[in-house]
Amino acid sequence: MSELNLSRRQLLRLSGASVAGSLFLAACGKQSNVEQSSNIASAGTVPPTTALPEAEVNDIVLLRTAASLEYNAIDTYELALEAGLLSGDYAKYADAVKRFRDDHREHADAVNKLVVALGGKAHTCANTRIKTTYLDPAVALITEGDNPDAARDTIALAHALENIAAQTYQGVVGSLSSPKLRADAMRIGQDEARHAVVLAQVLNPGHAAVPQTVDAATGRNNIASVPTAFGSLANVFLTIGAPNTDGVKTNLILSTPSLNSFVYEFVSC
Amino acid sequence: MPSLSTRPRVKSNAVPEADKALLIVAQSAELAVHDLYLNAITKAGFAGDELATMQLFADHHLAYVQAIGGLLGSDAPFERDDAIYQQFVGATSSGATATRTLQALENTLAATHTDILSRIVGTNGAELVASIIVVEARHAAVFGSLPTMSLTSALDNPAVSLLPPATGTTTETTTETTVAP
Repeated sequence: MSELNLSRRQLLRLSGASVAGSLFLAACGKQSNVEQSSNIASAGTVPPTTALPEAEVNDIVLLRTAASLEYNAIDTYELALEAGLLSGDYAKYADAVKRFRDDHREHADAVNKLVVALGGKAHTCANTRIKTTYLDPAVALITEGDNPDAARDTIALAHALENIAAQTYQGVVGSLSSPKLRADAMRIGQDEARHAVVLAQVLNPGHAAVPQTVDAATGRNNIASVPTAFGSLANVFLTIGAPNTDGVKTNLILSTPSLNSFVYEFVSC
Repeated sequence: MPSLSTRPRVKSNAVPEADKALLIVAQSAELAVHDLYLNAITKAGFAGDELATMQLFADHHLAYVQAIGGLLGSDAPFERDDAIYQQFVGATSSGATATRTLQALENTLAATHTDILSRIVGTNGAELVASIIVVEARHAAVFGSLPTMSLTSALDNPAVSLLPPATGTTTETTTETTVAP
């Protein structure tokens, strides 16, 4: 048997040629009577994918999504009350939190009545993606053991959620098909905006906190009761959690439900 | 990700003829409330941060007048609803009644614009009106939150629309506001 001695350079050349050969064979599969696959030509095989159902973004989907967000709010307020997150100076806001929770229950019922009237199925649970993407991480930051501002951060989370809810209703106005539905949406959207103002005044009270101002030390926007002249659809920033070694809290960015978080008609609780 | 066939949105700069009269009502009401804020600013004795809030809200209403005017183009009259102005100019001249009156006016505008939203068909106008409604609701809530927090005052809107009932509907509306200075 003859010995095969290869230098490092020769080995690299050989491996490069092998990859190129694999790609060439994959590309030439059809001509070489290689078994046909629906996958993109590649070395090796990839299991076939399962197509998701066809989905249309219609009035029912938009309203089911709004209903799901109402349940996110209900669950968040329930958690704040049941887990005793409103402690110290913030305990006095428990009645306000109960009022907000009850308002969201009414909103959820009202939106689901519209859904059913349109021929859809009521959605009576929270939006899973909003929960896992935004709310669960936020609650984890709030409740971690060394967070000295858990109560205030709970109010900050509620404030962010109310802003997102208001934006959601405002944002669907251009997509809903009838003027009546648009008005129905905004009857609720303006309620969420009012909630946001009350919570903003808890976090940053007084007339000086009505317009948008900037924290000179951090360069970030302060909480404002009326931050813009027209309803904003921009991302909502939420700063919560225990400060790190530099004294900086964690920033989360929340946005309204979109294509990957809509509650399509095939989604159920 | 599902394959999406999103409904195409009809986007046009042109305001449907049917919407113009309603948007003109909205613009004239906004101009009246803007002028009532200016009246309060000069006569009701506001000062400091509270005065700044009043100026901010006045500026917002002027922005709404201009935005609706931009949508209507040459059809925009830029004329104040003088009936509204005359009805409330007295109440907005006194520090004792100005803030309550302005809150009621904000609530009335929010209710009126919601009514308008239920009638206009163009998406440009609908999106603009919706973006105004949420901020006017915020204005009203600020009046309910300051100087002392009243949840009921901040969150509830007892006002009704300025528009007469739409033909063939049973909507509860009135031609008068619910302001009680």
